[in-house]
Amino acid sequence: MTPITLADIGLKEFTLQNLPRLQELRSQYFSRRPEICIERARYITKYLRLHDDLEDSPEIRQAKKVSYFLHRKSAQFHDRNLLAGNTTSKALGAPLFPEFFALTLWPELETVSKRTKNPQLLTDAEANELNLEIFPFWMDRNVLEITRTRFGNPKCLQLFENLVFFIAAKAGCISHAVPAYSLMLEQGVSGLITMAAEREGELAAAGDPKNKQQIDFFRAVQIALEGIIAHAKQLAKEAEQLARAANDPAEAAEFAEIAAICRQVPAGPARTFREAINALWICQVGIHAENINMAMSPGRLDQILYPYYRRDITEGRLDVGQAIELVGCLWLKIADNVTMVPEASEELFGGAGTVPAITLGGVDANGEDAVNDLTYIMLRVTELLAIRDPNVNARYDYEKNSTAYCRRVSEAILNTKSVPAFFNDTANITALTGQGETLEHARDYAVIGCVELASSGRDYPASSSIMMNLAAPLEMALFRGKRPITGDEQIGPVTEDPSTLRSFEEFWQVFKIQLDWLIGQAIQLNEYMGSVHQEMMPSPLLSALFIGPMDKGKDLIQGGALYNSSGATHIGFADVVDSLNAIEQTVFIAKKFTFSELLEQVRANFSGPQGEKVRLYLQNHAPKYGTEAPIARKNSRNLVQHLFNLYQSHINYRGGRYRPSYWTMTNHAGLGGISGALPHGRKAGEVFSSGMTPVSGAAPELTACLNAVAELGGELVPGGWALNIKYTPEADVAKMAERFAQTIDAYFRAGGQQVQFNIMTYEMLLDAKKHPEKYPELMVRVSGYSAYFKDLNEMMKDELITRTQYGLADGQAVPLPALQ
Amino acid sequence: MKALVGNINRYALHDGPGIRTTVFLKGCTLHCPWCHNPELISPEPEIAFYLQRCISCGDCQAICPQKAICMESENRLDRRRCTGCGLCVESCPTGALVLTGREYELEELVELLLRDRLFYARSGGGVTLSGGEPTQQLLFISALLERLHREKIHTIIETNGLFSYEQFAAACLDHLNMIFFDLKYLDARQHQQMIGSSNTLILANLCRLLTSRAQDVVVRIPLIPGYTATAENIEQIGKFLRHQKARHFSLLPYHPYGLAKAAAVGMTPDQTLPTQAMDQSELLPWQEFFYELEMVTP
Repeated sequence: MTPITLADIGLKEFTLQNLPRLQELRSQYFSRRPEICIERARYITKYLRLHDDLEDSPEIRQAKKVSYFLHRKSAQFHDRNLLAGNTTSKALGAPLFPEFFALTLWPELETVSKRTKNPQLLTDAEANELNLEIFPFWMDRNVLEITRTRFGNPKCLQLFENLVFFIAAKAGCISHAVPAYSLMLEQGVSGLITMAAEREGELAAAGDPKNKQQIDFFRAVQIALEGIIAHAKQLAKEAEQLARAANDPAEAAEFAEIAAICRQVPAGPARTFREAINALWICQVGIHAENINMAMSPGRLDQILYPYYRRDITEGRLDVGQAIELVGCLWLKIADNVTMVPEASEELFGGAGTVPAITLGGVDANGEDAVNDLTYIMLRVTELLAIRDPNVNARYDYEKNSTAYCRRVSEAILNTKSVPAFFNDTANITALTGQGETLEHARDYAVIGCVELASSGRDYPASSSIMMNLAAPLEMALFRGKRPITGDEQIGPVTEDPSTLRSFEEFWQVFKIQLDWLIGQAIQLNEYMGSVHQEMMPSPLLSALFIGPMDKGKDLIQGGALYNSSGATHIGFADVVDSLNAIEQTVFIAKKFTFSELLEQVRANFSGPQGEKVRLYLQNHAPKYGTEAPIARKNSRNLVQHLFNLYQSHINYRGGRYRPSYWTMTNHAGLGGISGALPHGRKAGEVFSSGMTPVSGAAPELTACLNAVAELGGELVPGGWALNIKYTPEADVAKMAERFAQTIDAYFRAGGQQVQFNIMTYEMLLDAKKHPEKYPELMVRVSGYSAYFKDLNEMMKDELITRTQYGLADGQAVPLPALQ
Repeated sequence: MKALVGNINRYALHDGPGIRTTVFLKGCTLHCPWCHNPELISPEPEIAFYLQRCISCGDCQAICPQKAICMESENRLDRRRCTGCGLCVESCPTGALVLTGREYELEELVELLLRDRLFYARSGGGVTLSGGEPTQQLLFISALLERLHREKIHTIIETNGLFSYEQFAAACLDHLNMIFFDLKYLDARQHQQMIGSSNTLILANLCRLLTSRAQDVVVRIPLIPGYTATAENIEQIGKFLRHQKARHFSLLPYHPYGLAKAAAVGMTPDQTLPTQAMDQSELLPWQEFFYELEMVTP
């Protein structure tokens, strides 16, 4: 336990007005348009063309490739941020990773700069270089094509490419990890290199040929880490030049100091708070030379950086204002990149950030209160900047953390209207110990990307390996292995015609047959792609910043981490549970319809003469997830339990188990758009509800909703979930914060794992859709991450608008106004 | 043991401290023209009809065994024929027909009320019994309050004060943390004239409660324009409360939500009542009549 020494944990005296550097950087950030950065694609292509040695092990080939790029990566200073280093060559860059999906840009080289929705700028010269030099090299060398060739275009790959069943994320990334930075900060990257060299030397001296893979791994670690040091030297050199060229002596001094820091870290140990922050950031930059910018999450920064902060404060080198400024600089650096999104992916992923997650508060490895002064500083910075990335998450242990802390996080959410998200320590630690992680390791969990959980630097969870559309197997159960969208094609097994079934239990069995089959296909593809990654995309650089690989002498991709799971998330959970409820209640209990009648209506998208009446009946009379209706409780529990059992029975290529989770990014809008009508009265093409959230309008009472979700939490959801709650804003923030905090506390005690908020009304969001120019910085929670409302596609905007809005003054859903 | 419950309101913030669940029991002995919950006056189940939700499908008419539904009538229901069986409610696809009044077994209700106990515990809340007039189902609420008390749930009753003191005291008093006691008129003649019944017993009960439990009693005065909200009435009430050594009072600002609900259950709303709610700021001048007492604003 660390004593809080701040007089005001809200740090209200610090505002953007008296932090001019942050204010300027923030306004520059909002004025920037994303530019596509081809630098990495250029250098790795050049390397592979000219220098790649096929005799090398996969780890060494990867290390050389990454190191080649890092030695040549441009060192630039786009603004007066106090930290050195950028993930890309642009001020706000979308890097291209041709190993993955970069080639989807090929047909759009001419249009990507000019498209109306979220354009990404690309110069003619660079488009030309991509077209002639870079993309042709990768046509049959990316993960997807290698998988296709090696495994003979298997059915599971075809299902994925159909996009309406599941997404196999390994075609686009693994990333999604939280490194362990403490050792790097203490020893410097040079220290890590020395450790790797010593291990290599010992193994070589033993002379056992079986050691070759480990020797190669330690060799690869050294090569990759040398790349980081080389890049830091470039940054120092550039800063020295800028210092010499500066007319303003203050500016010259500033760059000179940056240069001195880059000469010290990350190669050497960090001696100050500022050096620690910059060392960590340059390592993040290095990680992004190797791993694509998807949810590479820095983790528990209030814990990792605290010793440096405390020492500097005690020794008078730093004051709170300076610390706020440095943390703000880091937040803005983390926000310096976006994902390259081709037009075709806008529907599924439009408006998403890269979701690097930072985790604050909670308990330490001994289970004691870990909240410290730096926690509050980071909360204040998050509140002041209110930017999309980093994705800041607050852990809360209702037994150990103070009420003041819970209240302060609540207040930050009410002030920003959306961030941070709230995580329940008890439930999430239970989720991880249930996966065989030790209690100490589980207590040191950090959030990855949206909501996924990992013991910091010990857990390599590939947490977005599979994104499963749960409505697909439901439709296949209704239509004997076919789906309306894929027409007459037999997709899954031919199961019994539901109209011949005599009980709901029989239908549940049919549904499970389709579900298990489809998940089996998704896992099969993930295994295929995992084996391709093992040859093509090891991560020696990231491995060096993990606990496990350096002991085992094994890359992360080979199972080097202490824990090695694969994550599968689910889209359409609430819609599928409500459909099961509707079938059970109206067909088998109340016998209001026969199964044939219901199927007829679903097939016709409720368009016949009785269609709307039937649809309204289903909507108003079937039990709903989020209301505590016994049937809904049973079906939601059964589905969560079944998915848990199913995934846990599969061991992945790294030797770990699959873990289910429930977050949806913007996929619930995109996949809803291409899914057919469902038995709970949802029409074809309408959005699904997000993450673990009940269907919009289905859960009128707040406490019943929170209870119904919470009781599913803990062991059965090891991958984490996103629950979206929308509250009506109130004028008296302090008064609302008290109720807000009490409500969260009760939801956590009931078992809820996570909750995130939008504090806004239907009317405000409708207005923001109509007049985007009035809301340039409006940030909303999507499903596990934040986005700027204006960047979202129309379906996703509508989904946010129609989400149930609760009044925290009465705990009731506010009726949705008539929509034009 | 069963009770007829009109409505259950979870996350209630205006019926006592903290986050509460309020149970509205059906059936009331008073007939105040401004009643906020007119659908809870009758001690029988009733069907409420909301025209704007109706799609005129006629399913209700087809299923009604009493032939009590007429599609041509704007109120749909012939209440002389309706027995409140609820078949039409079950068949209505849109929720235009709503059954007010559902029987709950004691344990069923207790289970429901305990679902939010974590919310009560974190906020210092609990359960409030309201209505209607909850003491009309005295045996049931006695058992309910005893069960809740045993579960250490904070309990409040909201009452119009019209009950036999001995029976009420024996049945409930030991299991109640607070009593919210409504007082409309002090003057007996006015009470008789406006509400149609005497206030003698009400005042006597209030006095007895204040003698034994003044600390736990909150006297609530509804401010109804054209009715109770006169300087004379409120001043009299203030004096009376000081004299009886009451500690807490609460002012209930008028709101018009009862008007639409009255229409939905086939009652004729009082035409003299305003359609605008009273603003919190309008309470200020009335508070002055209650000096020496502490105002409770839940």
